[in-house]
Parts: sequence; C-alpha cells; structure tokens
Amino acid sequence: MREGLSIVLFLIALTSLFDTITQLFLKSAIDSLNFTPSFNIVKIFTFIGRLLIKPRLWLGFIFSIISLCIWLLVLSKADLNFAFSADSMHYIFIAVASRLVLKEKFTSMRWLGTGLIVTGIVLISLS
Amino acid sequence: MFKKNITLKILLLLIASDVFETAVHFFFKKSVLTQSGFQVTGLASALVFLKAILYSPFLWAGLFTVVVVFIIWSTILTKIDLSVAVPIASLSYILVPITSIIFLGEKVTVLRWVGILLVLAGVIFVSLSSKERMVHIK
Repeated sequence: MREGLSIVLFLIALTSLFDTITQLFLKSAIDSLNFTPSFNIVKIFTFIGRLLIKPRLWLGFIFSIISLCIWLLVLSKADLNFAFSADSMHYIFIAVASRLVLKEKFTSMRWLGTGLIVTGIVLISLS
Repeated sequence: MFKKNITLKILLLLIASDVFETAVHFFFKKSVLTQSGFQVTGLASALVFLKAILYSPFLWAGLFTVVVVFIIWSTILTKIDLSVAVPIASLSYILVPITSIIFLGEKVTVLRWVGILLVLAGVIFVSLSSKERMVHIK
C-alpha cells in the first residue's frame, strides 16, 4: 500500500513538472506575440491562430500530452481529491520557474500567497 | 502598467477557466471510471488502458473542454504573470471538492475545508501582489 502511494506521488510530481514546462512554453510564446489586451472575439481568434504557428507552443503541447497520459493513470489509482491535493507541488514548480526562467518579479505578498495555497493544499491532502 | 492589474474581466475569465477546468477533471475521472475493473501493472497494460478509454465519450467531452480552457487561458496569460495566473486558478480547489461530492460521491472532511479556506486566503494575497506591484511602479 505504501509502495503504491509513493508511485502515485512520483507520477504526480512528474505530471506537475511536465505541466510546468508546458506553461513556460505557452507563456513565452504568448509574450513573444505582444498581443494587446482585447475581449473582441475576432481578435482573440486571430491571436489564437498566430499562437498556433509558434513551434514552441507545439513543444509545450507534447509535454502536455505526456502529462495528460500520466494524469489519467494517476486518476485510475487515486481518488480525485487526493490526486488534486498532491498536485500542490505544481504551485512551487510554477513559482520557481516563473521567477528563474520568465524573470517575473516576486513581491513578499506573492510568495506569502503561494505559500498559503500550498499549505492549504497539503492540509487538504492530510484530511 | 495596465498589463499587471487584475481587472474584473480577467477575474471572470479566470473563474470561467476554473469552471471548465473542473469539468475537464470531472470528464476525465468519469472516463477512467468506465474502466474501473482495470489493473494497470506496467507500460503494456497502461497502453491497453489508455486505448480502452479512447472509446469513452467522456474522454472526448474532456478533450473538447481542454480546447475551450486553452483559448481562455491563453487570453488570460496575455495580461498577467504566470506566477499570478496559476495560483489564482487554484480556486478550482473549491470547485473540485464540491463537484466530487455531488457527482462522484466522494467525502470532504472539516480539515479539508480548513485547507480550502487557506487556499482562498492565498489566492487573495497573490491577487493583491499583482496590484501592489502596479502601485509600486507608479
């Protein structure tokens, strides 16, 4: 049983990591387009069209598909609440990757908020 | 620095993204439940398992919803930092337990609700950090 749990946790870490890589590729593809904020449907679809031409987006998709396959395996072994709870490490990966790779500026409030979210999710997983 | 400010529209988009994201997870879990007797023991049986759920309409409903989420999510990311958008999207921690109770019959304990409240507090702090930065730059 313990062994089964550690395998599930490992798979969740892997799916989180791959998902973080997907998000990094997506965000960097979006930033390279310099799209001006707009809620016009036509403009949004034009933007999505231009985004779909970006090779790095498809690199991201490959990671996303791998992540999805692992996630489906995780769901077959654990219930939805548990799987989601352990997925909290995702927020740590995203915060560190945003800071290091995308050079996003972190205020103490953002770290605090991210920490609270992770703590909350760990609590959820203990219950 | 308009780009860094979280407007009501972005918040609504984030909530919409969360609702669809929740639907994605619900559909995927449903598709997996259609193969509930299946034991995944290795890579070969994992592939057989994935092939089996390809025939589940829930999987395809889930994949369609993924496309919707992608469009909404991309729109959100044009406007705010990844390190703000992702934590705010954790609001699905409130939506997922509720759908799990109602549709999948799973249980949510008091401790879990405490965790949910902490997540909510965290989301508020991260949202404020985006504003704080805007004020700081001014």
